[in-house]
Amino acid sequence: MADFLSQYSIQRWLEMCPQGYLEDTVYGRGADESEAEDLLGNETMLDAAITATVQLVVGERCALAASSGLVNAAPDYPSKRFLATQTLDEARHVEIFTQRLYDLGVKKDKLEDEISDRANPHLVKFAEVLLEKVEAGDFIAGVVGQNIVLEGMAFSVFEMMEAGNRQLNPKFAHTLRGTIADERRHVGFGENRIGSLIQEHPEKKPEIERMQEEMTYHMLATFALAFSESPDEAIQSNGDSPEAEWHGTNLATATPEEMEAVLAETVLGEFKTRLGRIGLEYQSPKSPV
Amino acid sequence: MSDARDAVAKNRHTYELEETGFNEVPKKWRKFYRYWEGVGDVLAPNEVVCPVCKVVIRSKRELRPGDKVYCMPCMSRMVVVKAADGSLEAEVIF
Repeated sequence: MADFLSQYSIQRWLEMCPQGYLEDTVYGRGADESEAEDLLGNETMLDAAITATVQLVVGERCALAASSGLVNAAPDYPSKRFLATQTLDEARHVEIFTQRLYDLGVKKDKLEDEISDRANPHLVKFAEVLLEKVEAGDFIAGVVGQNIVLEGMAFSVFEMMEAGNRQLNPKFAHTLRGTIADERRHVGFGENRIGSLIQEHPEKKPEIERMQEEMTYHMLATFALAFSESPDEAIQSNGDSPEAEWHGTNLATATPEEMEAVLAETVLGEFKTRLGRIGLEYQSPKSPV
Repeated sequence: MSDARDAVAKNRHTYELEETGFNEVPKKWRKFYRYWEGVGDVLAPNEVVCPVCKVVIRSKRELRPGDKVYCMPCMSRMVVVKAADGSLEAEVIF
């Protein structure tokens, strides 16, 4: 354990992030990059982009609250130190996605109104389930909920969004690439730290599996509601771009139903595999639709 | 290294690694990783995908079952195993 945790040093984080892939970035993107003109000039697409970005801010605010709360719940100092770096990562994500809302035209004095008006209620419930465990000081359940369930979902969603925006909106794709790089460390910590703790505390499995079932329910409901409200025009872009291919689906031409299906399949597939690796059995949620 | 292990090592193909554009680890280590391109991405004999973070880990020599590999982007340690289809994959060591 000590050997694995020793890798999570502040020094290594500095070398990888601020001095590495984030060097010379401004709010996570290149200094001369801006939002795509096609997006800013299309009212429907712009509205959909603001709504989608609000969900990212909501998710990252939850991750910030969870990772900072878990610092005090962690049973050892190497874990506290890692979670301190994750807390800064999550705070950065909140900041860069909030900045994107400003770039899309949201006024600073209207930010909180836009977030509360547009936040997906299922995503809010998803966050509440996780934060309940964190507030109770339950480190194992908190890390499974945060670094396996939430980060696993974010990892797949960000990868899909990055693939879809690579050609159409390089500025946003660049922003997403930095967050994906951060998520790699977060899911790595989740699996490596919890993999050993679950072996030491098998009595925790049923409670954690119930939490995973509840979080998965709200996650699928989030996707279902998000895609049912997305206008086709906002999802389907112009052209058939091979660069937008993701898990066999062309994101440039996919319908909302196809997008929802590929996301649910990839996220759920990943959950089952990740949970299996750390000794937990995936629990299927009730159908959210 | 024993003579037997030395002989096995000598029979392995070796690779000259170059940077691939992967920038998520300090410069010194970047050549050991590349982005996985998803379905259709063919792995070389010195490569294996990290199952935790989906980055391709590259070795200076051909990989074989039992080799230990390290994924710096997610900081996971793994052992190389042979999958049911005969390909090589990595299993996380907790």
